[in-house]
Amino acid sequence: MPIEQDYSKTENGTQPVESDNQDSNKTPTLPSFTANKSSQTVNTLWRTLITPNSPNVTPNSSYYELISFYVYHGLLVLLYFNIFIFGLITFSINRTKLWFFELAYNPSKSPSVISADISKLNKIPKRISVILNLKPEETENGGISGLISDSSEVCAWVVASGIKYLSIYEYGGELKNNIPELRRSVYKKLAVYYGTDNVPTFSIKVPHANAIYYGASDQDIDQQRYKNTSYKPILQIVLLSNVDGRATIVDLTKVMADLTTTNEISPKDITVKFIDDELKQLVGEEPDLLILFQPYLNLQSYPPWHIRLCEIYWEPDNDAVTYPVYLRALQKFSTCKVNVGK
Amino acid sequence: MFEMFPKFFTNQFPLVTYINGLIEDSIINVVKTGPVPQHIALVMDGNRRYAKVNGIQLRSGHDAGADALVDVLGCCYRVGVKAVTIYAFSIENFNRSQAEINTLLELLKQKLLYLSDTSHYAERYNVRINIVGNKDMIPDEFRSDLDKVEELTRYHTKRTLNVCFPFTSRDDITSSIANVANRVLSKELAVADINLQQVSNSVIDRTSPPLDILIRTSGHTRLSDFLTWQLSQNPTSTVVFTNTLWPNFKFWQMMWILLTWSYYQAINAGEICIMTTND
Repeated sequence: MPIEQDYSKTENGTQPVESDNQDSNKTPTLPSFTANKSSQTVNTLWRTLITPNSPNVTPNSSYYELISFYVYHGLLVLLYFNIFIFGLITFSINRTKLWFFELAYNPSKSPSVISADISKLNKIPKRISVILNLKPEETENGGISGLISDSSEVCAWVVASGIKYLSIYEYGGELKNNIPELRRSVYKKLAVYYGTDNVPTFSIKVPHANAIYYGASDQDIDQQRYKNTSYKPILQIVLLSNVDGRATIVDLTKVMADLTTTNEISPKDITVKFIDDELKQLVGEEPDLLILFQPYLNLQSYPPWHIRLCEIYWEPDNDAVTYPVYLRALQKFSTCKVNVGK
Repeated sequence: MFEMFPKFFTNQFPLVTYINGLIEDSIINVVKTGPVPQHIALVMDGNRRYAKVNGIQLRSGHDAGADALVDVLGCCYRVGVKAVTIYAFSIENFNRSQAEINTLLELLKQKLLYLSDTSHYAERYNVRINIVGNKDMIPDEFRSDLDKVEELTRYHTKRTLNVCFPFTSRDDITSSIANVANRVLSKELAVADINLQQVSNSVIDRTSPPLDILIRTSGHTRLSDFLTWQLSQNPTSTVVFTNTLWPNFKFWQMMWILLTWSYYQAINAGEICIMTTND
């Protein structure tokens, strides 16, 4: 018999591997999304040269192996330096581009400017999703308050674009722990854009906790309006995090297995359509467009069922949540054609 | 920026080929000494557009794509990548015209038989070929040949090539769930024991390390239902979208991706190292 390495049971490699999602104490480290200082990078590269961390060098290596390894490794670090310089050049080009866009497209906190931009597009997504990152407290617009203010800014743009569904994904789920602040902040931001007597209605849904909140606070005078079950708020915000991905699918599997033992369904009934309907209930609909406000294209365990055909947009070297990035994502989306296999 | 390289280096003049080989070997030796991704996934998009742009037949476009694949696979395995997963055929591809489906399947079969042939790839790189996906959908006339490919390479253990055919991630996840439900029904597993490991037990998860890089060529920026589960398994895995058409995606393009990945790994690893020493 062939010796089969079973990777599902071992945590292999140097990559941090996500262990069981139920074990919430262990969260894998994400790459940091703040730009390194150049001096730090040079220092790290220098360290890489003198202390390579490679399985190719062992205490038993012969002199020939060691010498050839260090020659090649030296060349590699030299290449790294070239990439570093190349990266600096592209970084400054990209940042200049973004800075220029920021001057050219400024929403000036006015919905009419945004809707004028959007009305030029052939098509807009029905549902939109963004990945936001909790930045370190000490950086600009960092910490939980920065995250909340970024989220509410995005909400205002989405309302002004005439899109009714926004899901916000944040890996650690910090937004879910700060619902009252988020509600107030979204309300304030919408008031800035639309004026205090004409604030668009919104709901915030946390699918994992099966909770839904309407408007700025529960004591709001608007609450009467929401009690009417047929009333739909203008914007529906859904908060997602790491637990809505694989963990939810595992929970669903448990439910399905339970139902099969009680003969309510047979394993043959478990089809893509069936699971899709269930996950729409548990997590939400698949977005048409996913926007990342981070320099690397990394999906951070975004719910796997919900990124089937959605268009992904990110801007290289960008780490800020800004309107030009949002607008360019919509512009890109309006030119895309989805073939579905054809 | 790499467009100029292949034209110069693929010149069939013997000396150029020899020098080209030498350069490739040394680059591979250089890249090997740094961090190397363990698992790479490829969405090979752009064969049809390549045929259109170059004014050749659709079949020749797919042919050129298959050649590019052999090139890229060699490059990955030589650098030390343990597993490569390719999106050969999506379940949605059955929506194409019957003639094109037949061409594609025929080509896939030929190339797999070529790769698994004892004197070629599979033997040289010790590659085990897995056909992953909904096998019930494979037309009968191809099934025996594909089984043969798997049988011929099943004793190879060092590296893996997962050929997704016909595959979609949603289908894969659904069949994993149905599989767990079946095991529960046959009393093999208790409901309380179901965890992430039991659910991520599809062929790719069992035979390959966590996914590090997913590459999609020809400029589309969506995943088209490919390996979404595996991408979410490793929160640090990277997606690379390139504008190159797949038949033009060769050694140098692959090397550039491997090098930049290894560069960012080295930098991040350094950062973690600094953080731990500060504690």
